[in-house]
Amino acid sequence: MNILKRGQAGTMQSSDLMVIVEPADKLIIEIESTVKKQFEHLIRARLEQVLDKFGVASGRISISDRGALDYAIEARLETALQRAGGA
Amino acid sequence: MIVELTSGPDIAAAKNLIKRNGLSFEEGFDELFGIHESDELVAVGARAGNILKMLIVEPSHQGGPLLGEMATALVSRGLDAGFESLFIYTKPEYVRTFEALNFTLLANQGRAALLEYGNGLRNWLAAKRSLVRTGMNGAVVMNCNPFTKGHLYLAESAARQVDNLYLFVVREDRSLFPFDVRFRLVQEGVRNISNVILLDTSRYIVSGATFPTYFLKQDDPVARIQMELDITLFSSRIAPFFGITRRFVGTEPNCKLTNSYNDTMKRLLPDYAIELVEIERKEALSGVISASRVRELMARNELAQLDDYVPASTLAFLASEAAEPIRRQLQFDMRR
Repeated sequence: MNILKRGQAGTMQSSDLMVIVEPADKLIIEIESTVKKQFEHLIRARLEQVLDKFGVASGRISISDRGALDYAIEARLETALQRAGGA
Repeated sequence: MIVELTSGPDIAAAKNLIKRNGLSFEEGFDELFGIHESDELVAVGARAGNILKMLIVEPSHQGGPLLGEMATALVSRGLDAGFESLFIYTKPEYVRTFEALNFTLLANQGRAALLEYGNGLRNWLAAKRSLVRTGMNGAVVMNCNPFTKGHLYLAESAARQVDNLYLFVVREDRSLFPFDVRFRLVQEGVRNISNVILLDTSRYIVSGATFPTYFLKQDDPVARIQMELDITLFSSRIAPFFGITRRFVGTEPNCKLTNSYNDTMKRLLPDYAIELVEIERKEALSGVISASRVRELMARNELAQLDDYVPASTLAFLASEAAEPIRRQLQFDMRR
């Protein structure tokens, strides 16, 4: 799918994350997290997995995470992508 | 549940909650939100453009989800409104609280701290990495509303005293001349100075976020705090990135606020091993050159005199068809 407009999902609550996806020329993933030092690589892997599943090849994916678990990351990104049109 | 507060009684309750918790209630917000529990207002927060303010959770309700809920609403609304970056002023003791919400500290002045949601500053600097030069570097920050022979003189004098001069044009679009015009006139005006590196201030120097009162030209305690934050941010984050050790300003005979900004720099910059260099204003035959004088002449339609004050490149624009709306605006403002 293509990201056609800005899509946002999630909250800034503890154990949740906020995802913002926007159109861009290439794929850019920006991760802010209170547990970035320990888990950035795992968060990134999970985001990439979802992006793969939806065939997203370009867009700016920004997340700010407060220690969300895998399934929350997946669900929030999926929702943001759907809101960004096309999924 | 979070709701927008618009009715008189709701706003009065918000005022009360804000004041009871040691902040002042400031008018001039775009949106004010509140959260009620058992019919009682327990959290508030407001957004004015890209600035979040008056964010309070009643102490008896802290430690729960209310702050996150309020912050989510304010940030989402701000992003929906099209702002790339959102800022919050808070007390230094709350810096950690906001860092836990993924805000990044930009500057702490002792009585107030400025934080940004996300990593705008880091991204902005990263995008400018190719402009970084080694050597003895200076900086000058100018609004150039519009670019005058005074600005040119300041840039030339400063450029002679350093290896590279970073010339930051104020990005904030709150002046008569729009940013792209101001920037282009500077670009044309300084193109013969070989060691000038031209860039804009983004949201991080003299902006609506770092120093909003600058654009209101009022000198009060709030303005003092803001200019200290603005200068701290420049000195601690921006200057080290570009290797800037001198900041140049023109002496300021007219504007009290700019003068006190210069004084504050004189006081704070040495702590960061940056020297403030004041350069005497250039005078035309008829007096000190300033952009406000240029605007005054335009308002009176005395374009012939402008030659004394602005370089040829600026003059060409001021007399052009494209500047007609600006001239008309000035003449209209004067008649009012």
